[in-house]
Amino acid sequence: MEPRPIILYGADWCADCHRARDILDAHKVAYAYEDTDNPDVHQRMMAASGGKDEIPVLVRGSEMIQNPSSVALMEWLGVEHAAEKIKHDVVVVGGGPAGLTAAMYMTREDIDTLIFERGVVGGLIATTDMVDNYPGFPDGIPGLTLAENMRKQAERFGAQIELGEVMKITDEGEYRRLETTSGDILARAVLVATGSGYKKIGVPGEEEYYARGVHYCATCDGAFYKGKRLVVVGGGNSGVQEALFLVRFASHIDLLVRSDLKASEVLRHKLEQAVQAGKITVHLQTTTDEIVGENNAVVKVVGTDKTTDKKVEFSTDGVFVFVGLQPNNDFLKASDIALDAIGFVTTNDHLQTSMKGVFAAGDIRSGATMQVATATGEGATAALTIREFLEGKLESANDIHAPQQG
Amino acid sequence: MVKNITIFTRNTCAYCGMVKKYLGVKGHTYEEVNIDQHPERQVEAFKLSGAMTVPVTVITKHDDSMEVVIGYNLAKLAPAVA
Repeated sequence: MEPRPIILYGADWCADCHRARDILDAHKVAYAYEDTDNPDVHQRMMAASGGKDEIPVLVRGSEMIQNPSSVALMEWLGVEHAAEKIKHDVVVVGGGPAGLTAAMYMTREDIDTLIFERGVVGGLIATTDMVDNYPGFPDGIPGLTLAENMRKQAERFGAQIELGEVMKITDEGEYRRLETTSGDILARAVLVATGSGYKKIGVPGEEEYYARGVHYCATCDGAFYKGKRLVVVGGGNSGVQEALFLVRFASHIDLLVRSDLKASEVLRHKLEQAVQAGKITVHLQTTTDEIVGENNAVVKVVGTDKTTDKKVEFSTDGVFVFVGLQPNNDFLKASDIALDAIGFVTTNDHLQTSMKGVFAAGDIRSGATMQVATATGEGATAALTIREFLEGKLESANDIHAPQQG
Repeated sequence: MVKNITIFTRNTCAYCGMVKKYLGVKGHTYEEVNIDQHPERQVEAFKLSGAMTVPVTVITKHDDSMEVVIGYNLAKLAPAVA
């Protein structure tokens, strides 16, 4: 008997739909793809799923499965879990300074280590113009160069880097199961080193003009603003440093700071020089309320001067946003790993998380100081602790709990 | 099926390197247009993407249909070159 045809309801923007399609393709399972961005298709999907609005939905005759895990989908399809055979001593989630350092230490001791990176190898520093406070580089070092050097050093000892994303971690006793965009992977130990990413301000116009006037990476997009006016939002180290980088392109920069400058003394001194030269104007106690565009391009930023409570406007061609960092914890929320009230991973002194065999290091760890130097240090510590765990010398942590909310 | 791939890049852009690395891992060849070296082609990248950013990856399929991926976005890039 011919197998019944499979219909996959999904959308191009849906990562889980791509994951499901990848699994079907990898196992050479034929299916019809229906795009739920079409309202008629969406209606059919809702009918098939019994009214639950979540994709992907897979239908085979009278059977239906909705947004299944990779393993559940493979079981539903009746295909072998090829990924079951993929086992590593350690999987490092995140290839920034903490993850690369840990991988370097572990592979140097012949511990089989795989790094998963969904964004840039090197993490946030790779997108930073200059790193001035990492020891050993008296004149500073371009962030991209430092990131590349760390990658090369980790790879020299045998670390493998997989470009993809981890969606979930589950404790299965001897192994931790990681659901990834490359299928399921088993690891005896896992190091969570996903770091942090730049926050959004959360104001009207920010999403709408993303990459068309609103930017979060000066080294990527700054050069598009040669001779143009810019607004930079944020008075911390990142905001001031990136404003100073953007000065080489922009004709003038308005730096909007919600409260007072929190950047380091050295950066403030450099900022003062740019202010004296008329390149940057600093607006303290000024909130950013709206990014306004016309004809598909940003034209101004509307804010409030908190000292007078009056609205203020800044004509501009583009906005660069550096208003702090947030933990990259999407997949941790889906896993049973304790986070603190803000969403960073809670650890004990051994950098163990609440899940057996899972450790955390770098910016993602609750209490981290958000420095490259401390991230590499924690990566090294985690590597040594993980080695002890693999040798059975480290007791599991039973003292880590999510803090009480409220 | 992919016929050809063009990536618009700049010198200082870390995400551009990741697109190149990903395509390399997947065995694709591509033409790189570095806008810092060829500023006259910035307009072309903008027309294709509508975005003031790099990387911009333009994938032309065998039926000459075109897909444009803005930034290093694996959820879009992976299926576009599959």
